[in-house]
Amino acid sequence: MSVPALEVRGLVKHYPGVKALDGVDLVVRRNEVLGLAGENGAGKSTLLKALVGLVAPDAGSIHVRGEPVRLRSVVDAADHGIGMVFQEQSLVPNLTAAENIVLGSEGPAVRRGVYRWEVMRRLAQEQLDKIGSRIDPLARTDSLSFADRQMVEIAKVLRIEERTQHPPVVILDEPTSVLEPKEIDTLFAQIRRLREFATVIFVSHRLDEVLDVCDRVTVLRGGRSVGEVATAGAVPRELHRMMIGSTGSDDHYHENAATTVVSEEPRLSVRGLSGATFRDISFDVARGEIVAIVGVHGSGREDVCRALFGAEPTTAGEIRMDGRTIELPSTRAACAAGIGYVPAERKIEGMVGPMSVAENMTLAKQRARLAGPFVAPRKQATLVDSWIRRLSIRTPGRDTPIQRLSGGNQQKVILARWLVAGDVRLLLLDHPTRGLDIGARSEVYRLMRELAATGVATVLLGDSLEEAIGMADRILVMTDGRVATEVACPNGGKPSPLDLVKEMV
Amino acid sequence: MTSEVVNAPRRQSRRGASFRDAGPPVALIVVFLVFAALSPQFRSLDNVANIVDAAAVLAVVTCGITFVLMMGSIDLSAAGVMGASALTVSLLVANNRNDNDFGLLGIAVAVLLGCAFGCLSGLALVLLKVPSFMATLGMSAVGLGVATLMFAGVQPNISDTMVKGLAIERFLGLSYLTWIAAGCVLVGWLVQRYTRLGRYAFAIGGAEEVLALSGVKVKPYKVAVFTLAGAFYGLAGVMVTSQLGAGLVQAGDGYDFSAITAAVVGGTLLTGGRGGIGHSAVGVLLVMVLTNGLVQVGVSPYWQGGVEGLIVVAAVAAAVIPQRRRNQVVK
Amino acid sequence: MSTAVAMKPVHRLTGFMPLIALVALVAALTVADPDFLTQRSLIAVARTAAPLIVLAAGATLVVLCGGIDLSIAALASLSTVFLALWLPELGGLATPAVILVAAAIGAAQGAAHVLLRIPSFIVTLGGMAILSAVALVISGAGTVRVVDDSTIHWLDLYLAGYVPMSAAMAVLVVALIAVVLTVTPLRSWIAATGYSESAARLAGTPVDLVKIGAFCVSGGCAGLAAVMLVSRQFSGGPTMADNLLLPAVAAIVVGGTAITGGHGSVWRSFAGALVVTLLRVGLPIVGVPSAYEQILYGAIIVVAVALTLDRAKVSTVK
Repeated sequence: MSVPALEVRGLVKHYPGVKALDGVDLVVRRNEVLGLAGENGAGKSTLLKALVGLVAPDAGSIHVRGEPVRLRSVVDAADHGIGMVFQEQSLVPNLTAAENIVLGSEGPAVRRGVYRWEVMRRLAQEQLDKIGSRIDPLARTDSLSFADRQMVEIAKVLRIEERTQHPPVVILDEPTSVLEPKEIDTLFAQIRRLREFATVIFVSHRLDEVLDVCDRVTVLRGGRSVGEVATAGAVPRELHRMMIGSTGSDDHYHENAATTVVSEEPRLSVRGLSGATFRDISFDVARGEIVAIVGVHGSGREDVCRALFGAEPTTAGEIRMDGRTIELPSTRAACAAGIGYVPAERKIEGMVGPMSVAENMTLAKQRARLAGPFVAPRKQATLVDSWIRRLSIRTPGRDTPIQRLSGGNQQKVILARWLVAGDVRLLLLDHPTRGLDIGARSEVYRLMRELAATGVATVLLGDSLEEAIGMADRILVMTDGRVATEVACPNGGKPSPLDLVKEMV
Repeated sequence: MTSEVVNAPRRQSRRGASFRDAGPPVALIVVFLVFAALSPQFRSLDNVANIVDAAAVLAVVTCGITFVLMMGSIDLSAAGVMGASALTVSLLVANNRNDNDFGLLGIAVAVLLGCAFGCLSGLALVLLKVPSFMATLGMSAVGLGVATLMFAGVQPNISDTMVKGLAIERFLGLSYLTWIAAGCVLVGWLVQRYTRLGRYAFAIGGAEEVLALSGVKVKPYKVAVFTLAGAFYGLAGVMVTSQLGAGLVQAGDGYDFSAITAAVVGGTLLTGGRGGIGHSAVGVLLVMVLTNGLVQVGVSPYWQGGVEGLIVVAAVAAAVIPQRRRNQVVK
Repeated sequence: MSTAVAMKPVHRLTGFMPLIALVALVAALTVADPDFLTQRSLIAVARTAAPLIVLAAGATLVVLCGGIDLSIAALASLSTVFLALWLPELGGLATPAVILVAAAIGAAQGAAHVLLRIPSFIVTLGGMAILSAVALVISGAGTVRVVDDSTIHWLDLYLAGYVPMSAAMAVLVVALIAVVLTVTPLRSWIAATGYSESAARLAGTPVDLVKIGAFCVSGGCAGLAAVMLVSRQFSGGPTMADNLLLPAVAAIVVGGTAITGGHGSVWRSFAGALVVTLLRVGLPIVGVPSAYEQILYGAIIVVAVALTLDRAKVSTVK
């Protein structure tokens, strides 16, 4: 057996509050198609970024054909023969396909800064021929279909062959997520062809695809590689089990504190809600109920959540709170109706970094700190301090800029933002524990339970399936912009992650 | 289902693109025909030559600004750079203030001065990270100050026959300045089509991050684009000096805004990545036909700026409509 | 985290920048001309500064929201024409009428920015051209003389004998804006809008109204500045205030208000306006030709913006 094309040993990467990679090992043999599987947050994307020089690992090493390398940039990685087809495509939309293919390494196509279009077209055609694509190299990239653009990306990545004498390593990150079934077939034929002269790393959340096209699969969980399976004869169930692992027996989700849901008139009632990425969404959430929406990337669940808060345009449908229709789309109306929203991108959309804890906490419910039309400093101080104590927010003081707090404490301030006026009736939590460490997560879960006990309804987009199952009373599974099914998730009768995954893909 | 979701916005944008590409020329023809119907003076051959001649300086300024707009940046420095260049050239060619008589060399120095100003704007953008509208606003003030210093209270009248002749002498019924402007448009088009600088300027407006991801160092190209734009402004300053026969600090007054108007009306997006020299040339003609036509039908020439202001706001608003999305931050 | 730590010393420095500049300028001018620190020249400085302070204070609100208002000077010019034309008929009502109309024009530009989603600098650049054109047309491109200035003469008087009324008004306007912002939720709303518009929106902040309001105040301030100019010059003119745009922008950025939004205050612009005025008045005293004034404004704008920029926020600068 020759040296592996690519080998990763004990790769570690910390982000504030989380260990994205915790000693990953990975071996990619020459001319094989290796699948990479794992749940959201298992470390797949961080690992891929490390392989193309976008992330500098804290520890561990990467070896290319047995040689240890340090990759500082995408260009660096390309010089070592590693290239990636990015999930959100990395093509310049207003250039021609040919320009995109040779971008950054034009070679003879540009002489002294002057374009030689004929040479460029030929160079690009050579690349496209490698993968048997019949795209016109001089077509503008944004006039091509998504599948064709993906071919352009692959052709572009294959140009790294010109830099090394060795077969390239091509990484495909979730290449199938927006393709039609027919296009997927073409892509798979392409991948099998690539294997003749290249090594491929294939990442997809659709396990049947991974098993279909790969020779071998490495499974990641919690930033580690937890197993390796030869795909011949393997079944999705095995992989699922490895991805999910054994569920902990400790009461991480405070399930004992779960309240029984009283079914009366629903607090939130959604009927036929449609928008750009979702269609005909209907569901109810009762007082004190926690409903989780699960789905893969592209299922549209994030947009549904934003639409409920009036932050995403809708084309049809109705949203009622305690029987009263709310006017959409307007974040103001949603706020006034007692809806609170904790966005996934905490640093960009959640908090206002340079502003103080107090100002962030009272931003949405100004009324809570006013006396008449005026800010009452003493009222604000008492209010904010009381919430800092209640949620045990660790901060030097209420006037500290929120950006100096740790992620968990920032998140608690954002949650408190909706609680200070005591009028919140529905909380929309979009990945509320993203980037938080275990302790902070547990505190957020406890807080969710306490709020549910007071009658607050919750819609949760969990960071992981486990989280959704652990916290929710009911789970909606979304696929391709629709609610595929609804799974009851009562205490003591929780579904297994496997059951849900089957519905999701 | 999936395909609908994915395809819908794309199809729309393609249709929008063709509408944008066809819109300005159609508008130019319609506006021309409307004025031709309304005013007999307007449709005279002399007036048409007038319009084209009057468009010369604006066309050169617009060539420069188009490259900057293609990157998604903006340039408000044209007025200042033109003032400085006008004074420079008028003091370097034969004039009544000193004994200089450098002729073509004087023009070259004025153009180089424009390059220097553009280069400084570009450096302020990439090194100090000052947003381009602020950097170029400041640079415009510097240019006007430099011009005022050179003006020194006494207007330099030029006596250089070559420079003066550019505005007066004609070839095929059009002034030399017009032919210079046509040359600039051609050069601009070649740069945009056949050079890495032009294509990268276009690409920077399309997806700057992708360029960086592909290992392209973007900063030098940005500086180069501002420098190129400065060269065009420098040349425009020379052209105004030739028209006026004297070097004036206010040589570039209003050209910065008119050029942005022309480029935007021609179909160049302020967000970058769309449009180009060809679009801008149409835009220049459209603006000139509109302002000339309004005067011919008896509207006060003072309204010129107002008309430009209205159409620039309308054109930008129309361009944003297809991509309007909630929660998109507009500063 | 790291950005917060890295930004702090810079912001501490820029916080004192206008004050340091002020003290240094006064000291330098006193050395250059011992007569500078006399009542007469100080009064002259205060009178010159007044319209600039008001203009800059109003526009500061727009900058705090993350936008820019390039139309203030043109709007002030137009307002001088309005005032000069309306004084004979409206008398004492002309002043409030002009301020109201200017505020409405500002609000209209704000509405165009928010509703049509056009960048603020292009709306106000277009606005600048439109307003200048209107001013030229209604004034016939000439100066409009004010014959009876009895109703605006008070602005040209002195409070307690030697404080120019216009300067007192300017301080009053700045104080009023500052106080209103501090005691109401407006300061939070404006800062949140400027620092992070999407976060502000997702916290239910009335972002659109806040922005339109900022443009409205900016317009109103331009109107008031116009009244001050007319009371001094006994006339209105279509380009009378045009040369105040650069000094006003310079005043805002020298004060340390970040062009990226959120960080800053009207008091900073007050100090910035004094710095700019001292430069303007002081250059001839030191013997520098006034042509350098423009160059200085240009340099100041670029350097001050570079110093106060919130670098954490701007990944790609266009």
